[in-house]
Amino acid sequence: MEFSANDRKKLIKLCRERNIYLEGNVLKILQDSGDDKFKEYIENAIERDKEMRKKRLSITKTIQEQNRELKKTTEENHELMEELRETLSLEEKTKRELEKNNTKLLVSKEENKQVHDELRIAIKDAEFAKLKAETAKKDAENDLDLIQRKGQSELTGIIAKYALFMILSVGLITTGLFIFSLITGKETQLIASTWSNLFGILLTNAFSIVGTIMGIKYGSENEKK
Amino acid sequence: MIESILLVDDESLFHLVFEDACSLLDISLSLECVSSADEASQMFDLMYRMQKPRPECVFVDLNIVGSSFDGIELVRKINFEYGNSVVIGIISSSDETEEQSRAIQSGAQFWIVKCDEIEPRLEDFRQDYAGYKNRTNPFKIYK
Repeated sequence: MEFSANDRKKLIKLCRERNIYLEGNVLKILQDSGDDKFKEYIENAIERDKEMRKKRLSITKTIQEQNRELKKTTEENHELMEELRETLSLEEKTKRELEKNNTKLLVSKEENKQVHDELRIAIKDAEFAKLKAETAKKDAENDLDLIQRKGQSELTGIIAKYALFMILSVGLITTGLFIFSLITGKETQLIASTWSNLFGILLTNAFSIVGTIMGIKYGSENEKK
Repeated sequence: MIESILLVDDESLFHLVFEDACSLLDISLSLECVSSADEASQMFDLMYRMQKPRPECVFVDLNIVGSSFDGIELVRKINFEYGNSVVIGIISSSDETEEQSRAIQSGAQFWIVKCDEIEPRLEDFRQDYAGYKNRTNPFKIYK
């Protein structure tokens, strides 16, 4: 590719006054047309272009490296985020399970409380029933004791009645026979001693009976206490 | 010097790196960069229909994000449609043997491993380029 002499001058002037050069691969196909100044211009422009390209290449490589590192960091961040998301999800799941278990526990607690209340009521009822039973037992025992004492008193009364009746009967019969013997003037010696002996025996027996009755009564009273 | 180069890569920053490296190493005067395999395929179709000259050499990235097919598939497609008229290879940060075998099968002529210092690899490639153009060089990996 060739430029006219005028264009070459303009390009050289531009580079001298404003430091502006042609750039890029077009420089590689430019011909100097035997112009030494333009040859120098092309060499300078190529040198400048190379320097600029080297600089740009270096910067681009740095950016490329930074980009790679950024990409790597982004991937690591993404992985971390994924892990974090998974952990959060797991935690959320665990939390839900815990809440579920907690609800179950609360329900169980409520049920336990209800059962506990029912048990307390049942215990109170049982205690009340026990008290009632004890009272009934005491009443029954009292009734039984009363009945026993009544039976004993009646028996004692009957025994005493019959014993006294027999003592009185034997005493009266013997006394009657003794009086009859005295009135009729018959032999009274035998009957008198018999009456005396019998009277003594009956009296002793009567006291013995009374003593036995008193002893039974005293014994039953002590047992009751 | 290579007449014209087409770079197919989804990383726009690498376009700049590749362009500057090619310029500094005087590899090519004409360089075009596209970001997807579909775009590259359409470009080849258009060139074919309009009877325009195709790029002399194509550098294809292995995994082109946002494309309906990968780099190896694009290499296969270009090779199938344009045969020996285009020098084509893979430029990727991957260095997996399995992928490289696939690339050979698809007709790729070279494999350049991308790194921070791409210039020495491109310089080596430039020196071997004549062999690729006349199809005498075997498949080579630049790393």
